[in-house]
Amino acid sequence: MAANPAKRRKLGPAGEASMDQAISVAVRQPTTFVLETDELLKESRLDYEKTFEGVDDLLRRIKAAIESIEPHEPLPIADAAKRLKKAHKIRVPFPEPAPPKDSNYKLAYAKPDAFNVVGSYVSKTMVRTQDDRAVDMIVVLPRAVLQEKDYLNMRYFYKRAYYAAHIAAALHREIGATASLEYEYLHDNPLLPVVAVTTKRMSTKKSKKINEEDTNANAQPQAEFRVRVIPCAPDGYFPKQKITAAAGLIRSGGDEDKKTLHPPTPFYNSTLKADGSFVLYLRVLKQAEKTCASFGDACILGRIWLQQRGFGGAVSRGGFGHFEWSVLMALLLQTGGRKDTAALSPSLNSTQLFKATVQYLAAMDFCKKPFVLGQAKEALDAIREPGPVIYDAVRQLNLAYKMSASSADMLHQHAKWTHALLNDKLADQFTSTFITKVDQPSLMYDLNASLELPDSHTDVSPDPRGKLASFCTKVHSVLKRALGNRAQLVSVGTVALPRWTLSQHPAKPAESRISIHIIFDPANMSRQVDHGPPAEDKKDAEKFRRFWGEKSELRRFKDGSILETLIWTSTVPAEICEEIMLYILPLHLKTTANSVSLTFYGRGFSSLVPASPADPAAFAAARAAFETFEQDVRGLEDIPLHVRQIAPICAELRNATVNPPTFGTSKTAPKPMDVVIFFEASGKWPENIAAIQRAKIAFLLKIGSLLEEAKRDVTTHLGLEDTRSELENLAFLDVVYESGAAFRLRVHSDLEEVLLDRRTKDKTLDQHTRTESATLLSEFRRLYTHLPLHTTMIRTYATRFPALSPTIRLLKRWFDAHKLTVHFPPDLLELFALHVFLSPHPWPQPSSATTGFLRVLFFLSRWDWRSEPLTIDTSSQSNLTPDPDNNTSLSPPLDPAAASTRLQAWRNLDPAMNRVVLLAATQSDPAGTAHTTLNGHPAPGKVVAARMTALARSACRVVREKGIEIGAPDAGRQLLFVPSLNDFDVRIVLDRKVLKTAARVWEGEDAGSSSAARGDDVGVGLATRKFKNLDARTGSMPLPVGTHPASLLVEQLSRAYAGPLVFFRGAEDDTVVGGVWNPLVQRRSFRVNLLGNYKPAAAGGGGGDGDGDEDMEDGSEGEEEDDVVEVDREAIVAEIARIGGDLIERIEVKGQ
Amino acid sequence: MPSTRSTIGDFSILPISIPPLPSFPKPTTHHLYLRRNAPKIPTPDDSRSLFIINAPADSTRLHFRALFTALLGAGRFESVTFEDERKAASQALADLLIPAQAARLASHSKKRKREEDEDAQHAREEETARLPEPWSRPLRRSGGTAVVVLADEKSVEKALKAVAKAAKTGKYPVWGAGGVPEQDRTLGSSWIRSHVRLTYPDKAAAEAAVDAFFTVYNRREREAAELAKRLRSEPDEDGFVTVTRGGGRTAPAKREEAEEARRKMVEKAEKKREELSNFYRFQLRERKKEEQAELVKKFEEDRRRVEAMREKRGKFRPES
Repeated sequence: MAANPAKRRKLGPAGEASMDQAISVAVRQPTTFVLETDELLKESRLDYEKTFEGVDDLLRRIKAAIESIEPHEPLPIADAAKRLKKAHKIRVPFPEPAPPKDSNYKLAYAKPDAFNVVGSYVSKTMVRTQDDRAVDMIVVLPRAVLQEKDYLNMRYFYKRAYYAAHIAAALHREIGATASLEYEYLHDNPLLPVVAVTTKRMSTKKSKKINEEDTNANAQPQAEFRVRVIPCAPDGYFPKQKITAAAGLIRSGGDEDKKTLHPPTPFYNSTLKADGSFVLYLRVLKQAEKTCASFGDACILGRIWLQQRGFGGAVSRGGFGHFEWSVLMALLLQTGGRKDTAALSPSLNSTQLFKATVQYLAAMDFCKKPFVLGQAKEALDAIREPGPVIYDAVRQLNLAYKMSASSADMLHQHAKWTHALLNDKLADQFTSTFITKVDQPSLMYDLNASLELPDSHTDVSPDPRGKLASFCTKVHSVLKRALGNRAQLVSVGTVALPRWTLSQHPAKPAESRISIHIIFDPANMSRQVDHGPPAEDKKDAEKFRRFWGEKSELRRFKDGSILETLIWTSTVPAEICEEIMLYILPLHLKTTANSVSLTFYGRGFSSLVPASPADPAAFAAARAAFETFEQDVRGLEDIPLHVRQIAPICAELRNATVNPPTFGTSKTAPKPMDVVIFFEASGKWPENIAAIQRAKIAFLLKIGSLLEEAKRDVTTHLGLEDTRSELENLAFLDVVYESGAAFRLRVHSDLEEVLLDRRTKDKTLDQHTRTESATLLSEFRRLYTHLPLHTTMIRTYATRFPALSPTIRLLKRWFDAHKLTVHFPPDLLELFALHVFLSPHPWPQPSSATTGFLRVLFFLSRWDWRSEPLTIDTSSQSNLTPDPDNNTSLSPPLDPAAASTRLQAWRNLDPAMNRVVLLAATQSDPAGTAHTTLNGHPAPGKVVAARMTALARSACRVVREKGIEIGAPDAGRQLLFVPSLNDFDVRIVLDRKVLKTAARVWEGEDAGSSSAARGDDVGVGLATRKFKNLDARTGSMPLPVGTHPASLLVEQLSRAYAGPLVFFRGAEDDTVVGGVWNPLVQRRSFRVNLLGNYKPAAAGGGGGDGDGDEDMEDGSEGEEEDDVVEVDREAIVAEIARIGGDLIERIEVKGQ
Repeated sequence: MPSTRSTIGDFSILPISIPPLPSFPKPTTHHLYLRRNAPKIPTPDDSRSLFIINAPADSTRLHFRALFTALLGAGRFESVTFEDERKAASQALADLLIPAQAARLASHSKKRKREEDEDAQHAREEETARLPEPWSRPLRRSGGTAVVVLADEKSVEKALKAVAKAAKTGKYPVWGAGGVPEQDRTLGSSWIRSHVRLTYPDKAAAEAAVDAFFTVYNRREREAAELAKRLRSEPDEDGFVTVTRGGGRTAPAKREEAEEARRKMVEKAEKKREELSNFYRFQLRERKKEEQAELVKKFEEDRRRVEAMREKRGKFRPES
């Protein structure tokens, strides 16, 4: 560092300047973010009067009770404890290791020096959503019972525990009837047992009075709050210069005066110091509140931010809670800047304070370098610890002493992510920063695992946090080193320590498992070979070998270097990482591989999508086939117009199908992949839409015959679209290669768009024609403009985000499972998935399919599509690298406000959502309907969209309840991917066998023949083939099937029953079609042009229903009251049975 | 179960019994609603035709013939037209065939009446220009209408009586019985297979249809061009000469040029405007004022948005 001071100087002011700039911008115009945070503050402020009703009284009683304790003279430690137990049945909560029985320490009791109430109750910075509301009351131990040397060998903590036990005894006697008393560890610190007083239900009279007030206020149930009575050391009692970080204060070797080297005990030392500085920090905070008006609000924001990320003051929750946040902020208001000036200005408002503090946390990595606030008088060695350090120089305390390296890492990352988010103007900053529950392992991490503490693990260092904590630290450091840059974040955590009753031994941790969470770096995680240091570098190589053991081998590489190398055998990225973990953990935890019980969660979903390493190859093969095809078409010489472009528009060619494309053989029909062809602009197109469509057929025929001539292995078929109007695209050309690859070609004509546009805008035409033209125009644009662009976009992002393609496939699998697929254009589902990659806030981009998929579900469950558009902004690269300097935009960014305005306009125009339901604005389609409407109808419709949201919500609920267990094999599949078929009113079960034969049709087969005669037909077909040079195998390739027979059937049925029945179907191999009766179309008054099959309503029901809308055609004379008809469900089902014929195995109707 | 009513509005109700199928083994009843046909635009066959609502989705001519044979006896049924067919017929190909210019001109000139034989010729041409249907048996829209033409007026009378009788006695005619061949009673896989096959028509036939289309189209275009020429030189009865465009239309290349020119013009105007802004002091003041107003507006907007968010519950409550 010191070697390059110029660089440092340069970095410093730049950071300051950008912060200043940000602040001045914020001052000038209040943003939505500021307004939203103001609202949040208003909402989350606690009503202290109500919540802590009677707290003052209780505190006074506690004080009185403690003061009334009889002092006693010093007694040997064992005797004192015994006496207490005998008299009050209260056990002294001595910290581990408990004092030896024959110890000659003496314990005394005297009246406490002082009482004080500290913590967030005093500063009024609690929030409503906080789960633990406690008032902290400190009781300062009198100097009389202490000795200066008590800082050694836990003596102080024994005395403190004894004091706590006395307090417990007194409180038990005095207020035991109205409150329950327990011991608990302060912040899960096993050195600091405290007495927790939880108020019981109030006396009936009092609670009645409160309930009366409450029923009006309708607030939360009568609060049961807690008061923690915390014994603590007098301020500055222990000599601070003797308890620096490097000092070893737990000396096992009996003789204390000998100057032998003792292992440093930083945690013990810091606890000791912290226990004497409650009042000091209370003063610091009071001072900050006085100087900075918005300090309190900023503390509340910090508390919410930390709480949503799972941080808390307790060791098990990261050791960085509200107290640490506010002290850090208070200190930054005094110091921390350059040349010991204040880093923050007291004139900032709460959001600015919050943002600046987050920026500070994002810039500092406490683990790497101790972070000193103020001018430290000590040497750096006295400050440095193996863990993270935030050193308050004035009070000589490491504020981060409860943090582990893992939690400091996590805090740093969270701050970095939030900082990046707060710089991203287009994202929803507020919700991601404060509202989203970030701390959901299955959504946040790419890999979750749990590890059992092996019995053989022995604790070498005298860390009072216990075996489990030191085990965590060990696992964290090993994994961090082993995974290197494969992982962005490695987090290792434990569970909290429970409370225990006064008469028991101190609680042990509830379980001996630790949880491991990892966020990968997708760019590096798939590396199969790790290069170590070169062999010449003896020292490094030796270190490397020592870490990696036998796995490390010397290899010679092409460039001549000889390196220590690690070779991993797995092929899938996630598996490589698991392989590394399974190798390195047993090696370093000194256990055999079998005894390390490492359980991985998160791979349970992978079985749902066949994610084999061959998949990318299959997609690449499809792409290669397409390129061949493109070259073949471009190579044709006699096409009347020059080919400008051939663009793919199908999901196979953008790596987004559930099953990778397989090319048909003679057994299965080829499945054509959609492509469109663009020609150079030409004036030769006829100026009539119908004529253009015919001209396209001529083009296709020409291309077909030319291709067949030029390439021997190509067969072409001209196919007709199933259209109603002569103005639509009429035909396509299926080009089938002998290899099985097939393409469906459609021709683009620039004049068609112009004509359609003109027809749409022509005011002289009637409304019906113009609407029709508008629909045709949007279909045209979808097919020839948006889908080609979309395909390119998804392909680009699939290479940039390796997890995108599997996420899309898993998501499609989910939509398949719930039979929603038929209602959603595939491109819309891809946009959903892309969205969580482009705006992953508050998390980083997912790097595994499972995480990606769960986040899409999370997004869908929260997406209020009735009032919010989905905006997918691909213009800025800022979300790729959180570095703000790299914020270069390629094209004008998409304006989310414009999309909202547009959605608002649609909702005003079409409140029933008959034309537009979802709005998904992209760079290429700012209007946002290209991917959400098909043929003028919304896709999905309102009913289906609501169903999607409901399903996503219940899925997310399950994910929350299950936690990381959702990733366990089978759990994920069974809970999320099994549809409840009982929801459907009608279930049509298709016959798999008949479907299979129906999917294979040969050319030249007699139109009337049944499937039984197929064998003969093939022969006939061969005999009558034009091309003698084709062999029998080619000739017997079935006709291409663009739409699966079952889909065709459902399509036809949906067209026939557009009104009363909505059909649901998933993937192609899904043989159960669900049907739901439309609740809006049930009983109607009779008239011509009703949609659907109606029967006269049962006589009883036809009372006065019908006279509401009596719009009979040409005035009926028989003005009967009950012209009401209702949907004839049975007749419809019978009709479906007739239409489906042998395709349908059976139809199940709900309730029958 | 015999239906309790025989009429609804001015329609008679004809229940039809539907035989059970293995996939849905439950006998059901379908209701047809009939009355005399009285369309808004009368046709010569109105007196001997019936208007039907709620024709089953799998209806064919054979089904209706069998139905009326069961009601009236053989030889009374002449034809049936379904809703979608009538619509298709109204959208004659011929109208679409007219080149754009011809269509515009046709509205100017009082067109001479088409002669009978010309119409017939057009119909023939259209038939050849039509592309084959991809479905062997199109599905009808559920609840759709149909018009049945019977042999004579008397048959209509008798049919309505028979309907009333059937409804009363509970002896309903059976759908898809009698003259309907066994394989046509259900559609199923053979129907889907035939669709796959019909989707790929014979290339020669498709080519012929396209050729026929362009024969007609080119002739029309020629006619239109001639008409335009004539109109240019001949005054109409009021003595006015219609102004028509010369020949052809703007080619895309020229369109692009026009676009370019427009862009340049806009740019020029923009530059000019730019030069003149902030020229006077009042302009500067006004601009500042505008900016301020904009800021206020944005702030108001934000506030409204937050207000709207507050109305939605839970937006400001951190999730737990």
